[in-house]
Amino acid sequence: MHETREALLKRLEGQARQIRRNIWRALRAGGSGHAGGSSSAADILAALYFHRLCVRPKEPDWPERDRFVLSKGHANAALGAALAQAGFIEDSVLDRFYGFDSPFGMHPDIKVAGVEMCTGALGHGLAVAMGMALGARIQKQAFHSFVMLGDGELHEGSNWEAAMAASHYRLSNLTAIVDRNKISQSGPVADIIGIEPLGDKWRAFGWEVREIDGHNMSEIVDALDAVPLHPDRPTALIAHTIKGKGVSFAENTYLWHSNNVNDEIYARALAELGEP
Amino acid sequence: MTTVTPVAPEWRTKSAKQTRLAFGQALLEIAARELRAVVLSADTQDLLGIRPYIERYGDRFIELGIAEQNAIGVASGLATTGLRPYVCGYAPFLTARSMEQVRNDIAYANQRVVIGAAASGVSLGVAGGTHHALEDLALMRSFPNMTVIVPADVDEAYRATLATLDIDGPVYMRLGGRAEEPPVTDPEAPFHLGRAVQLRSGKDVAVIACGALVEMAVRASDALKREGIGVRVLNMHTIKPLDRNAILAAAVETGAIVTAEEHHLVGGLGGAVAELLAVEHPTRMRMVGMPDTFATVGPTNAVRAKYGMSAEGIVEACRAVLESKSIRS
Repeated sequence: MHETREALLKRLEGQARQIRRNIWRALRAGGSGHAGGSSSAADILAALYFHRLCVRPKEPDWPERDRFVLSKGHANAALGAALAQAGFIEDSVLDRFYGFDSPFGMHPDIKVAGVEMCTGALGHGLAVAMGMALGARIQKQAFHSFVMLGDGELHEGSNWEAAMAASHYRLSNLTAIVDRNKISQSGPVADIIGIEPLGDKWRAFGWEVREIDGHNMSEIVDALDAVPLHPDRPTALIAHTIKGKGVSFAENTYLWHSNNVNDEIYARALAELGEP
Repeated sequence: MTTVTPVAPEWRTKSAKQTRLAFGQALLEIAARELRAVVLSADTQDLLGIRPYIERYGDRFIELGIAEQNAIGVASGLATTGLRPYVCGYAPFLTARSMEQVRNDIAYANQRVVIGAAASGVSLGVAGGTHHALEDLALMRSFPNMTVIVPADVDEAYRATLATLDIDGPVYMRLGGRAEEPPVTDPEAPFHLGRAVQLRSGKDVAVIACGALVEMAVRASDALKREGIGVRVLNMHTIKPLDRNAILAAAVETGAIVTAEEHHLVGGLGGAVAELLAVEHPTRMRMVGMPDTFATVGPTNAVRAKYGMSAEGIVEACRAVLESKSIRS
């Protein structure tokens, strides 16, 4: 049965809302965490896991699967939510975030089904995803490798080593998604160390660039469906997002890069996010 | 995957004089035996003698330029797809510069990546402190999952490189630089990971050495034998996992241990041996290696000798530990 575009967008928006609800649920379980950068990524993750990525939740190591590396590993609550909703892991795991011996600490661990790399130290994921893309080419596999980067993360110079090499090898099977929420741990990225003109930087490194509204599901879907944007170049999607998106008191403030979450805050957040 | 430049005749020979080139030659045999092997370079194609490999297996070669952090990250990504990456580069840069990539992307993620680290120790003596690697063993052996190998000569480097085919996890292979490593191992003997090789027997003192210091230890043993002092020599080619049995047997049977390595006295082979003996069998020890200073500039063997990393230095250390043993008893 063919899904209409309207139905697709509605379904994905529902998954995104559920990811946000699960982010806050996981952070409440842990008592604190990265609400801001997790929430800004939620719509993109919904479009990836419930539309674009060709993966098998019951066969997480399937060799032909598309790869997704969350380089901004501090958004692990969002990844955990997506993996639980997609069926890679038990839903109950979300109630054990940061717990003793939990599969989910603050940052992703490759031992968890669906997690492709241990990340969290910033500036690692792009090189790793590039290796995955090269591995696909060498072994003549058709899968695509996606990596999500934070905008503050782009301060790490290792990203640009990988950006230079990926275009040298014309890795059209590699897509970097920049979660451009414009705020990092201490304040606005522009005030910490400015990264604009960001699109020009990626273009100068040989990437094909598209800028999208990272909360407009229609634009996200169109962009992900259009990947690769160029037959000989890797793709950079710069997704303009709002840190803490969906919960008014957490939006657009570095204070919610990471913060404590108690029962009362959780209830207020869920009230704003609405029913799934 | 890259432009292949013409191969100079000397790279075709099977007579590598340095461990770094033996590693490069072994990659040819590895490529023939393991279709999943891929070789990465950080602009170090001649340093490890991999041009013949590139000529034959260009589709399984990736040049990554002067970007070691990226090389390690890319190797990790390749390994997750089932390939078996061999990363070629300079020891000081692949370890100190890329340490977080090695720790997270390779060791923590437990990926099957082999790091071929040339120019270790003071093997590029004239290059100065920026190009010496005297802390790499301490860094690499501190990571869980990591195997750390220090071949003593060309034959051992070749055999140890082949042995990586059977190691299910990350490997750090420490290789030399421009200086030639004199032959000291038995080229016919199989390489057993994690099992020390006894090259000289003796009951008075045991020298536990790795890398270029193994050959020096043998000379020291032969010199002391002429004075009636029996010096056992163990070639501890694997720093991790450590051959605990060989070390404990040496400690029990001789009561005096000397370690010898081209590495800072902090955290290397000497440290590993001391950690074991302190807990299991406290034993009089002396350590030959680099003291707590950056090494001077100079020809490799002259730099080594200045800091006691020589046969003479090992002889002195043996005398000192024997003296302390006699005072105690």
